[in-house]
Amino acid sequence: MQDNYLAKWLNDELTEAELVEFKKSEAFETYQKIKESTSQLESPEFDMDKAWETIDQYKTKDETKVLILSPFKTFLRIAAVIAVLLAGSFFYLRTLNESYTTAYAENKAITLPDSSEVILNAESELAFSEKKWNENRNVNLKGEAYFKVAKGKKFTVATSQGLVTVLGTQFNIETREDYFEVTCFEGLVSVIINDKETKLPAGNSLVTINGNSTMSKAIVNSAPSWLSKESSFESVPLHYVMDELQRQYDIEVTTKEIDTDELFTGTFSNDNLELALKSISVPLQIKFNLEGNKVLFYAEKAPK
Amino acid sequence: MAKSNPLKAEEHVNVCEEQVYKRVFNETSKTIFNYIYYKFGNEEKANDAVQEAFVKLWENCAKVPPAKAKSYLYTVANNLYLNVLKAEKVRLKYADSTLKTTNESPEFIMEENQFKEKLDNALNSLPENQRTTFLLSRIDGKKYAEIAEIENVSVKAIEKRMHLALKSLREQIDGI
Repeated sequence: MQDNYLAKWLNDELTEAELVEFKKSEAFETYQKIKESTSQLESPEFDMDKAWETIDQYKTKDETKVLILSPFKTFLRIAAVIAVLLAGSFFYLRTLNESYTTAYAENKAITLPDSSEVILNAESELAFSEKKWNENRNVNLKGEAYFKVAKGKKFTVATSQGLVTVLGTQFNIETREDYFEVTCFEGLVSVIINDKETKLPAGNSLVTINGNSTMSKAIVNSAPSWLSKESSFESVPLHYVMDELQRQYDIEVTTKEIDTDELFTGTFSNDNLELALKSISVPLQIKFNLEGNKVLFYAEKAPK
Repeated sequence: MAKSNPLKAEEHVNVCEEQVYKRVFNETSKTIFNYIYYKFGNEEKANDAVQEAFVKLWENCAKVPPAKAKSYLYTVANNLYLNVLKAEKVRLKYADSTLKTTNESPEFIMEENQFKEKLDNALNSLPENQRTTFLLSRIDGKKYAEIAEIENVSVKAIEKRMHLALKSLREQIDGI
């Protein structure tokens, strides 16, 4: 028998002759049992994921530690320079422009330097330069806002769709994509769209949809309806109404088999969604389905 | 020996690289755990040894070539408890013993259980290096060459340990 024949036997490395001889030995039976038994043995369970988690934590901790110990690396210098520049330009820009924004379902009241008042409707943005305010009263507007302008110099509201100029009055401007509406509540407002000026007397509103302007005798109220938590429309394509609904309630509106160019005249509440949905669906004879923050409008006959 | 090391072909890579490090962990951690457990019979200490070894490897990842990573890990784990820890009883489970014996006679089951108890005792009375080598081979299916790398001795020495381990197991069980 060769050296360490038991080790060779476990490894099936014995020669035929050796194996025959080994099997004849009286110890073989026990050896065979040991071989079989030990092949069924199992080691205790090892939680590899848990072990990795601990090591991984240590590694990340170790990495941050290294950074702290070497604080003047190049990239930190660069970071410091960038931080200074950012802070500097932030304060510089602040003196240039004051800016206010509102999110979905949010209104904001702003008082301008000359104590003119602006109320921003949902998802809108207003910016103006406080420094140059005494030279010219210019504001930039995206979205919808109601203005109550103090008497004084020319007051100009610049929007992506046109300029609105007044001397001192109350008016509402709404610009949404290709929809532009100016309503004058008091005094006289001048609206300039594509170099064409329209004078808008009190109690009138000018609506421009896709570049087509129509002036109409509007609201008799003294302020836009959204200030009293309602959204009003007069002969407005339905999809603008849906958009406004999304803005006022921060919900997602979808439609199915509905002509969204159909004109809608009516009002919906800005603080009661159920009521608002009915105000839209009942007059149009359509149905709606509200699930979480998603609303689906669908034709009465259409399958859900 | 080099052939058995799958990292050998990528000597240009660095253990500091997350991917390489993670692969070494996946391939080695369980064996390190078992290795320390077979030696000392203490699960907690075996877990600690895995932690310790991999933390040390991370700290020295730039200095340890990938091909040497595994033996480095075993050395760290082994040195951790060298001359410190007293070996406890190693407890091992049998994979499918109940299934196999359900149709057998009560006498057979009793004999079988007696044998297992004897084997258990015999394994625990083996010298620590014989037990570790024997169980790495029998349970983890490690080749003698791999165990030689782990223990940092020759293949011949491992064969000797296997032979002696099996011999003394049999002697104890047969009461010689």
